[in-house]
Amino acid sequence: MPAILPIGLLLVAGALVAVHGFASTRNVANLGLQASILLMLAMPMTLIIMSEGLDLSAGAVLSLCSVVMAEALAGGHGLASALAASVAVGLGFGLANGAMVSLLALPPFVVTLGTLGIAEGAALVVTEGNAVSGLGSGIASLYALDVFGLPFPVLVALATWLLTYVLLHYTRFGTYVFAIGGNRDALVLAGAPAWAYHIAIYAFGGLVSGVAALLLTGRMNAAHPTVAIGMEFDAIAAVVLGGTSFERGDGRLLGTVLGVATITVLRNALDLLGIESSLQVVSIGGLILLVIVIDRLRRSRREQVA
Amino acid sequence: MPNNPVSATAVRSPQHWRHLFAGDGAELALRVALIVLIGSALALASDAFLSTANVLNVLRQASLIFLLAAGLTLVILCGGFDLSVAANLTLSACLAAGVIKSGLSPWLGIATALACGTAAGALNGLAVTLLRLPPFLATYAMLWILQGLAFHYMGGQEIFGFPPAFRALGTGFAFGVPVPVYLMAVVLFVATVFVRSTNVGQEIYAIGANPEAARLSGIPMRRRQMLVYMLSGLMSGIAAVVFLARVNAADSGMGEPLLLPAIAAVLIGGTSLFGGVGSVLGTVLGAIILALVINGMNLLDIRAQWQPLVVGVVLLVAVMVDLVARGRRERIG
Amino acid sequence: MNRDDTDGSGQPASAVPLLALRNVSKTFPGVRALDDVSLDLHAGEVHMLLGENGAGKSSLIKVLYGAYRADAGTILCDGRLVEITRPADARRLGIAVIFQEFSLVPFLDLAQNIFLGREPRRPLTRLIDHGRMHREARAVLDSLGLDYDTRALAVDLGVAQQQMVEIAKALSQRARILVMDEPTAALSERESKTLFTLIRQLRASGVAIACISHRMQEVFELGDRVTVLRDGRRVATLPAREATPDQLIGMMVGRAVGAVYKRRQYGKAGEIVLEVRGLTTATGVRDVDLNVREGEIVGLSGLVGAGRTEVARAVFGADAIVAGEVRIFGAIAKGGPERIAARGVALIPENRKLEGLALKRSVQDNLLVASLWKLFPRGWYRAGVARACARALIDRLRVTPPAPRRMVRVLSGGNQQKIVVGKWLAAGCKLFLFDEPTRGIDVGAKSEIFALIEDLVERGAAVLLISAELAEIVHVCDRAYVMRAGRIGGELARTELSEENILRLAMHGA
Repeated sequence: MPAILPIGLLLVAGALVAVHGFASTRNVANLGLQASILLMLAMPMTLIIMSEGLDLSAGAVLSLCSVVMAEALAGGHGLASALAASVAVGLGFGLANGAMVSLLALPPFVVTLGTLGIAEGAALVVTEGNAVSGLGSGIASLYALDVFGLPFPVLVALATWLLTYVLLHYTRFGTYVFAIGGNRDALVLAGAPAWAYHIAIYAFGGLVSGVAALLLTGRMNAAHPTVAIGMEFDAIAAVVLGGTSFERGDGRLLGTVLGVATITVLRNALDLLGIESSLQVVSIGGLILLVIVIDRLRRSRREQVA
Repeated sequence: MPNNPVSATAVRSPQHWRHLFAGDGAELALRVALIVLIGSALALASDAFLSTANVLNVLRQASLIFLLAAGLTLVILCGGFDLSVAANLTLSACLAAGVIKSGLSPWLGIATALACGTAAGALNGLAVTLLRLPPFLATYAMLWILQGLAFHYMGGQEIFGFPPAFRALGTGFAFGVPVPVYLMAVVLFVATVFVRSTNVGQEIYAIGANPEAARLSGIPMRRRQMLVYMLSGLMSGIAAVVFLARVNAADSGMGEPLLLPAIAAVLIGGTSLFGGVGSVLGTVLGAIILALVINGMNLLDIRAQWQPLVVGVVLLVAVMVDLVARGRRERIG
Repeated sequence: MNRDDTDGSGQPASAVPLLALRNVSKTFPGVRALDDVSLDLHAGEVHMLLGENGAGKSSLIKVLYGAYRADAGTILCDGRLVEITRPADARRLGIAVIFQEFSLVPFLDLAQNIFLGREPRRPLTRLIDHGRMHREARAVLDSLGLDYDTRALAVDLGVAQQQMVEIAKALSQRARILVMDEPTAALSERESKTLFTLIRQLRASGVAIACISHRMQEVFELGDRVTVLRDGRRVATLPAREATPDQLIGMMVGRAVGAVYKRRQYGKAGEIVLEVRGLTTATGVRDVDLNVREGEIVGLSGLVGAGRTEVARAVFGADAIVAGEVRIFGAIAKGGPERIAARGVALIPENRKLEGLALKRSVQDNLLVASLWKLFPRGWYRAGVARACARALIDRLRVTPPAPRRMVRVLSGGNQQKIVVGKWLAAGCKLFLFDEPTRGIDVGAKSEIFALIEDLVERGAAVLLISAELAEIVHVCDRAYVMRAGRIGGELARTELSEENILRLAMHGA
């Protein structure tokens, strides 16, 4: 089990004891809402990192998708076509990222840094740097919907988790995610079109961003061109905290979910304690460092035994 | 001493200077040609372009990009990467602004910026050499940590209004040329001499070209890697001082727009993302090209919102050109 | 496929071979890798392939698997003419190859690994049918008598188990022809026995097996027939039971004399430069003692995987030492390569492209990389001086073309190797560790390298020469150690040095 589980549990216990209002019903519901968008970014990010990749553009693309969706709604289009537009934009960026990583063998972090700039610029250009509002009530009421007692955003996030789980463990795509990260040559020798599956990993990320825009836009009933930039940091942090390896094609969705939960609890508790978002980032950085050091120590001990 | 073929002192050194800029003549000429091309296009498109004030403005903009990009060039030459340069600039500038504004000597402010930059660079170096984290991951985490600290320190406020003597570092002129341009020239000279004319510079190229071969040639790899990350941090500190002096204000978002241009400048300058190939002079030309592009967008009344998009495209094009120029990495399937 | 027992001649009774190579040749620039080689593989036989390094075994396998395309000759499968141009062609014909590097994905389980690329899926949902996959994987493993859990991850398997899973993977593709490249190289004695039992079962079920081996014992224990290759040619194919070890060794080494370098004179050993005692490493070296004296070329021979390279790397500080000590000029040597190199030790590594050279840098840069601080003690690199030094070295090494600014990537293998050696000449080293210095370079360059090595010892340097080419050790060295399975199998003095003696120590142990 990754080192994150005991750390996360300690954190929750600490928050329960020390943070006033942490356990209130309202706050717990709030935690679920906060976690849902992050979970949606972190699920495909897990697959991307498993394939020895990285997506720094995830937050910027999510912002752009949200802007596109909001512009469509503000322009009088229906929710379905707004969602379609958002998903198309997300998918386009995913395909572009994947193509450059897979076909041109470019380093993922530089590729996605470039597309980060492009997505950010596009969102700024479309909105002229302003927030987009006046979306009507459709998306806000969808966001506020309760299905079987679960808030709509939580439901969508859980569905993403389930979908990713099925993809990873019950489809060839998922099997090849492990192979691309762990031994890409073996996959090629087995006759599978590794390049196409490699692109598909990034495309999946773009697609989920397109859907996640529904939650981001619904939450504020507005869109802002740069609002989600930086969210990729939390997503990457959740994946790394969850024990997914950058090098060997090892990954755990459950670990990522725990990572998401830990980060959400940490941020929420610090919020309640009145500690601003900037220091929260620093504390997440510290947490990552801690987990990595623990991981290194455990691994080197295992290697000594072997 | 059985095998020393020649003694170092027995050979007279020929023209030493030419060596500094030798080797990549054609590539550098190509970049100069690109600058002339963009410049001519802008001159045709806008009357304002060729005014002395504007040309100096371009150089001033280029100098800022270059100061950040110079440190990054060293790291990339050595086979690493540093995503934290811009966030490092932000934090260094904010701390320096706080020191100066609190009435202490501007010299102390400058020292603060340089020390903060170098310290952050050292942390990057430790994460890469000691924890053996992939450089992009270590410096990406550092990016957010530095950014977070800067936010916290500033608390959403701006610090502005510095003594004129300090501001002269960014806005002043000497013999009609902006002070930062002199700084750019000095850094260019020192960094070029460092990478081309010292043993350590040679070792940095060797590590970037093939780390395993460098290690098996007896090069102290970790110490050299530490050094380049620290130098990159130091350059962020220097850039912070110049930027602060120029805009006469510090805020926690000041550095972020410089990250993509700095990376793009290095790559356009012909330094390979895969290490071991490139030059600081190329980076200067890359910085000038980016400054021209940004300046041209201003002159042509293209809204500032386009900037990240354009720089992003330029970055990706530069990476792909690098790929074609250096031959792609082998990969089956 | 009916299994007919082999008759007394070692020739299987089934008339048509499952796979037949006829007069296959393959040439690379400067090397004739395969020269008119013919080979039959019959159903239900184990055919051992024997030969020194560079004899053509690997090339043969690559032709079979479609990784190389033969320049001349034909391949027959079941008596029909076939073309094998891609790995997929080989797979379709039922040929499976197990290379020395494994093709398992670490974090997939055994069933997933066995069916990689061919996962059974449910008809409607297109989801992977894990039940069926595990059942079929179970069946394959059972048929091999392996009781591994099909849900175990590949990363948790030992080397031997991985080897078995590779075989299972090959069999699940219904392979009729199984080619194995040194399957026991990484296995312990007991693990090898298990593998042999498995191979015999396969033979009994009618699979044709070709197996490269370096261990004489295996050839007789396992093989029905033996084919010996030398310098890209087939020397002989004969029934294993009719062959003797000495006969086979004779066939493997019997090369034309004169192609090998001749020493001018054998050395007068001086004081001890390198002394290794009880060296043990995590990379598989066990309790190695050896020493090298001034003016001496000491060979370190043994089969691939015996631990020779690992000894050199540990001495140089490139790999950690678990136990034992290394002394250089009597003083204990510790630390990484930068500390060891500073004491006058040079390593010419086995893989020059990955470990020895910066291919995208110039000849001059590569030549001087290890001697920068020697040439410029104050740290100021002077290009003019560097150029002159590089030119002097280029002259001394006779690098062609003599162009210091030429990129190393474009030079021939021999010239590249001279540059790897050259970078240590300028550093004034006293102990040289040569790891396979002549691998993949042409004959002319080989003798130039040896002339250089002899030149070094005549000037008082000490040389440890690692080579799997026995003739090199015999002709060039003053004495030699032979390694086997991580240990020193024995030491041979100048008078005892012969290819037969080395092979005997390398294959049987002392």
